[in-house]
Amino acid sequence: MTLPNITLADFLPLLPALIMVVGASILLLSEVFLSSSASRGYQAVLTVATAVASGLTALGLMFEPPHAVFLGYGVLDPFSSFLTLVVCVGLALAALASVSFLRKRGAERGEFYALMLFASAGMSLLAMSAEFITLFVNLEVLSVATYALTAYLRRGTRPSEAGFKYFILGAFSSAVLLYGTALLYGATGTTKLADMAGPLSQALATAPALVYTGAILVAAGFAFKVAAVPFHMWTPDVYEGAPTPVTALMSAGVKAAAFAAMVRVFLTVGKGMDPHMPLALFSTLALLTMVVGNLLAIPQRNVKRMLAYSSIAHAGYLLLGVAALFVTAPGEHFRILGASALTGGTPLDVARSDALRGILYYLLAYTFSAVGAFALVSALERREDEDKGTAWDLERFSGLAQRRPGWAFAMTAFMLSLGGIPPTIGFMSKLLIFQSAIDVGLVGLTIVAVLSSAAGVYYYLRVVVYMFMRPVPEGAQTLERSWGTEVALVISTVAVVLLGIIPGRVSEWLAHAGTLFGQ
Amino acid sequence: MNVELVLFGAFALLTLLSAGLVILARSPINSAMALVSTFFFLAGIYVLLWAHTVAVVQVLVYAGAIMVLFLFVIMLLNLGESAHRGKPTLSRILGGASAVGLLGVLGITLSRVPAQPANLGPQAQATFGTMASIGQSIFTQWLLPFEAVSLLLLVAMVGAVVVAKSRI
Repeated sequence: MTLPNITLADFLPLLPALIMVVGASILLLSEVFLSSSASRGYQAVLTVATAVASGLTALGLMFEPPHAVFLGYGVLDPFSSFLTLVVCVGLALAALASVSFLRKRGAERGEFYALMLFASAGMSLLAMSAEFITLFVNLEVLSVATYALTAYLRRGTRPSEAGFKYFILGAFSSAVLLYGTALLYGATGTTKLADMAGPLSQALATAPALVYTGAILVAAGFAFKVAAVPFHMWTPDVYEGAPTPVTALMSAGVKAAAFAAMVRVFLTVGKGMDPHMPLALFSTLALLTMVVGNLLAIPQRNVKRMLAYSSIAHAGYLLLGVAALFVTAPGEHFRILGASALTGGTPLDVARSDALRGILYYLLAYTFSAVGAFALVSALERREDEDKGTAWDLERFSGLAQRRPGWAFAMTAFMLSLGGIPPTIGFMSKLLIFQSAIDVGLVGLTIVAVLSSAAGVYYYLRVVVYMFMRPVPEGAQTLERSWGTEVALVISTVAVVLLGIIPGRVSEWLAHAGTLFGQ
Repeated sequence: MNVELVLFGAFALLTLLSAGLVILARSPINSAMALVSTFFFLAGIYVLLWAHTVAVVQVLVYAGAIMVLFLFVIMLLNLGESAHRGKPTLSRILGGASAVGLLGVLGITLSRVPAQPANLGPQAQATFGTMASIGQSIFTQWLLPFEAVSLLLLVAMVGAVVVAKSRI
């Protein structure tokens, strides 16, 4: 009997996820010994510490050479390590924002943080999956954890509706993804992404319908997870009904991990396909998502809902970056100068690596800005107003600049960053994505992206106008401060502003992270 | 006529018979019990195919765990015998039509299957489907997804408890 050689080194890329699972297990087990009135302040601290440890591990792994592990079922490459880092940032900020949110509702429990950690471990594992069954199981780990988190607070109709909707539609989308996977397996006889490209090009000649249906179903499954139009219907209701810190984690982490998996699947499997097919698919999705997301966000007076629609719009800009990965004939006015010229390789490789970097940086930028914005929303909302639906109304932000100038400044930074206005990280990341799209010749699509993000500035700046130019409403609630939210706001504001001006070390890491195994 | 063929015929007939009972029985409990016996006879057919593991899992998981859940639900909902019979409602007509359509599609597909089985890739080894070979592939080749499934089960369990408890 010959056994394949799996060594301890194969477990190395799992380390960030393992740290999170261990942290979650400690939280679950320690909860057993606590009475219902015991102080649970340590839980958020432990979660943040776990996220930091895991993020630092991922940072260390980023400089390992890319290689396959577990006989090709997983990979370790800078791309997946950077993504784990983004997930850890989102997790730490969301956990900090949860402290006062849960305390105000008397719902502080170890299970909440444990599920957050499990979801993040699933995201990290999803980013490194290189085989369809592994990928599906990891996608389910993160989905099941977020379903439970969405339904965590079940008082009132909104959370139950959100949890139920997310669960049913999420299960449906997983089934669609799995069906597409089964069709691709039927066409190729393998589930390993790396082994698929060869048989796929043969299958494309004999049974093109099978391959295309499979690829489109897989793309539809991912499009649901990243909330791309026309698979976005669930997003506003679920984002609004879920506890705000969970919404923050969902908008940043789930989206990031699903994007990473989608990029890996289509870049690896797409080699066996006509490249025009993924290009057409992602261009269409990007166009629809950018335009519809922004148009639907404009009339929203509910800030949480507005952020949900804005998250759809941001998925659109990211899809533009994904579409740029599949252009085979780059434009003639190809950029020679710049850091990417140093890496060598054909113009196409450079363009692809640029687009990958753009996507990763955009995900990092969106994580800081969106999680920060959701943290502030959670600081302003009150449990009693949720059923009336006024908890997240724009009026809440009226005169915030007079009452809490620091909060108003932070929110302004997040809004400018989401709108893509310099000098913020949001501007830099949009610049990178649009630049890589122009480089490969997607000029028309980029013009649409710029125009629709200009439309987006309207609803972002409206929040700023309310904060600075409206009087404080009479009988406004007192604004309680809590250390968790304040720390989250300070970290994300500093990151949003500073990384927009001096990217520093992050750009070094990023220059490294545009490498996908097997590319 | 060898023993295997006789056994196959018996199992196949009994499977069809109990499957028929599942849809024809008037009380849901009888229906569920007929489903249990269907699973058992199917397991017999799996054994004849040398798929011992599938047979054991079939009995353990389907006939054991899942059917107990079925019976629990039937008892909890206190379902009696179905009262309205023979009334052609829209859902019945649609259901019947799609069943007939499925039968047609299956028939057409079956008629196109060549009499001699096609050579679908490498021949299965003699050990295929045995407990040893499944264990070997789970703990070597499929180690990563297998461990991920254990994480998934843990998450699902914690999630179910969190959602079901009413304290918060």
